[in-house]
Amino acid sequence: MARLNILCIESSFLLREGLKTLLGQMGKPFSMEECDVVVDDLAKVLRKAKPQLVIANPDMLTAIGAFPREMPECDHRIFYTGLVNEQTADKAKARFDFLLPVHADKLSLSRRLEEILTAIFGKTADSETGTLSERELSILKHIALGLTNSDIGEQLFISPHTVMTHRKNITRKLGIKTVSGLTVYAILNKLIKVEELQVSDRHEAQL
Amino acid sequence: MLINKEMKMADVIHLNHHLLPIINRFGIQLGFGERTVQEVCKDYAVNLDFFLEIVNTFHDPSYFPLRHLRSFAPGMLIDYLQKTHLYYLKIKLPEIAQYIRQLTTNTDMDPNHVQLLQDFFTSYESELSAHINREEQRVYPYIRTLEKALQTGAVMTDYPTSEAYTIHHYEEEHDDVESKLFDLKNIIIKYLPSPVESRLFNIILHELFELEKDLNNHAHIEDLILVPMVEKMEKELIKAKSNQ
Repeated sequence: MARLNILCIESSFLLREGLKTLLGQMGKPFSMEECDVVVDDLAKVLRKAKPQLVIANPDMLTAIGAFPREMPECDHRIFYTGLVNEQTADKAKARFDFLLPVHADKLSLSRRLEEILTAIFGKTADSETGTLSERELSILKHIALGLTNSDIGEQLFISPHTVMTHRKNITRKLGIKTVSGLTVYAILNKLIKVEELQVSDRHEAQL
Repeated sequence: MLINKEMKMADVIHLNHHLLPIINRFGIQLGFGERTVQEVCKDYAVNLDFFLEIVNTFHDPSYFPLRHLRSFAPGMLIDYLQKTHLYYLKIKLPEIAQYIRQLTTNTDMDPNHVQLLQDFFTSYESELSAHINREEQRVYPYIRTLEKALQTGAVMTDYPTSEAYTIHHYEEEHDDVESKLFDLKNIIIKYLPSPVESRLFNIILHELFELEKDLNNHAHIEDLILVPMVEKMEKELIKAKSNQ
């Protein structure tokens, strides 16, 4: 998954560190640009940081009117989360897409952050769930039998480059990197039989 | 928190018990009493600064002792790395192999599955051993020769300007063995049906995680300290040769 770029505008060091800790526990890769002074020229800061998500203390943004959601320099929409407390005025809150009450307990903060990240990224894609497609299963079978990328390409009428792409996806989905590891997986899941393997080993030895 | 010489050795173990095998590698054994790190190192005639750098590098992977560690004699570093190798070959790998063998007596496990696991581990073992042997037989002697040449001021005729083995070859060899260990862990965690009595499975998995952590630290020391150290020696020797 792509790394989430976050711009945090908040003067409190402890709050920024706390946010990083919470985000780190969400299990999604992110990097955070930090700004600890009041921002007069938001557009300038955005151009530099190119964030997908801005998490800001409302008091530290002096510009009036709506926040810029799109920038010519960014190829994505920018979302805004306000760090709010009991004193934050409704008018200030209304400018943000999401709100994070800074005095909430850890569980509600995590849930809130999870909702925000899901709203930005959408649900976890199929590629992350570990289910292999029919095509990938068939390629996996061939890999386990010891065939090379070009062999597989020839048999399935696809380019070696395409085989490589499938292999990368298989490795990512299963969490197995080596050919021998994939072979074990294939046997455990009855995609191939141990006997087939020995036949193909002999075949290889003859070549 | 960094480990320093004033800390009690017993507190170091309380802080991070994973350090025990590392400390043993220096010949230091349990039963520290109230002695500090400094005192224990003195008792065992261990170089204190070197000891601190090694345990801190292991304790905190983001700790990077660049300047400090590189100032130690390469021979001292190689001695340590060789002890680590011995630990893998003579203790850790046989131990894990033994646990896997014990699985065969487990009646509620498919013997074919145990065989698969055993074969996979055996092939991992031989790959790791081959890698270690290459280092022992080619890389370390090479580094010791470099060190000697620099000490004696002798100009090397065949190193490193010839086609001979230079440290760059060595850097490329890492990695492959790591992937296999990664796979082995995932096969056990995700794909191999666990026996109802999973105690042995848990032990094996735990051992694999410990081994991985140790190997990562070993590779970390080699890549970030040993390789730059040798590169520096190679440059000095080339310079000495061209000055001649």
